[in-house]
Amino acid sequence: MDFSIRAANVEDCKDIARMITELAEYEKVTDQVKITQRDLEQDGFSKNPFFHGIIAEVPEQHKSKEGDGKNTDSNRNKTTVASDKKWLYLCFLGKGIGKALMSKVAQVIGSGRGCHQLNFTVLDWNKSSVDFYLHQGCTDVTTDMGYHYMSCKGEAMEHLAQP
Amino acid sequence: MASFILRKAEPKDVSDILRLIKELAKFEEMEEQVILTEKDLLEDGFGDHPFYHCLVAEVPKEQQSPEGYTVIGFAMYYFTYDPWIGKLLYLEDFYVMQDYRGLGIGSQILKVLSETAVRTRCSSMHFIVAENNTKSIEFYKRRGAADLSFEEGWRLFAIDKEDLLKMTSK
Repeated sequence: MDFSIRAANVEDCKDIARMITELAEYEKVTDQVKITQRDLEQDGFSKNPFFHGIIAEVPEQHKSKEGDGKNTDSNRNKTTVASDKKWLYLCFLGKGIGKALMSKVAQVIGSGRGCHQLNFTVLDWNKSSVDFYLHQGCTDVTTDMGYHYMSCKGEAMEHLAQP
Repeated sequence: MASFILRKAEPKDVSDILRLIKELAKFEEMEEQVILTEKDLLEDGFGDHPFYHCLVAEVPKEQQSPEGYTVIGFAMYYFTYDPWIGKLLYLEDFYVMQDYRGLGIGSQILKVLSETAVRTRCSSMHFIVAENNTKSIEFYKRRGAADLSFEEGWRLFAIDKEDLLKMTSK
């Protein structure tokens, strides 16, 4: 199947927001998605972007039933933790698109920006993703080294900030 | 009782920051993995596009360490992004020298970081902790932090430069 990988632009934010929601549905956490298309436009495409995006796109003749052929992979800047938020429609799996997306990320940050490592998180029950990443040479730092991923949010964070 | 100040790190602090990074890595039994140099810290933290921000804790000269250090703690953080909730503050390293612990420096650092997160409209602060570091885990949990690995099954994955470059040639 033909597909192209390219940098995301501000017009892609509608599709990115759509796919973030779909991935959250798959991960059974839709109630946790607060971000909007407008947030993405402001945070990703202003003078100091907080994220960069890479898009996989198929030509018109391969578009999904819903009428759009775009998939996204969001990644973060240089040495920061990058989310594994990568999402492919079922009909587009097994075509090498996931690997191509990851390869593009590797190109941008590895040879392009001279990064030493890519970090990201994966849910332990997401076996197909875990297997995919292990096959690419990734290591499970939580299992191997015992590092736990912690979060302090909402009220807890505001409480910490008080005098 | 030690008096101390917390301030934004300046270029002159890179030597102390690297020293403290290595001390923390030694405590985590991974000192040999620190390949960063003062030059890297200077370029990456104080250039046109800083990749990290740093807070340092400093004591007056009269309370300096036996080796003569007045910078006795630090926190390194940066801003990152979550597709569900937007801006996050990611706390990368957080360390106070042993002789200066129990004086409220760690709590004060965390308070300043939280203020920074709230002020910059971050939804959350994220960080990693080694599971055998029970003292730190309890410190964070007392302040309302959640262990996402334990509670939701999130695992931290890494891929190093060598394997990253292999992917680009496939």
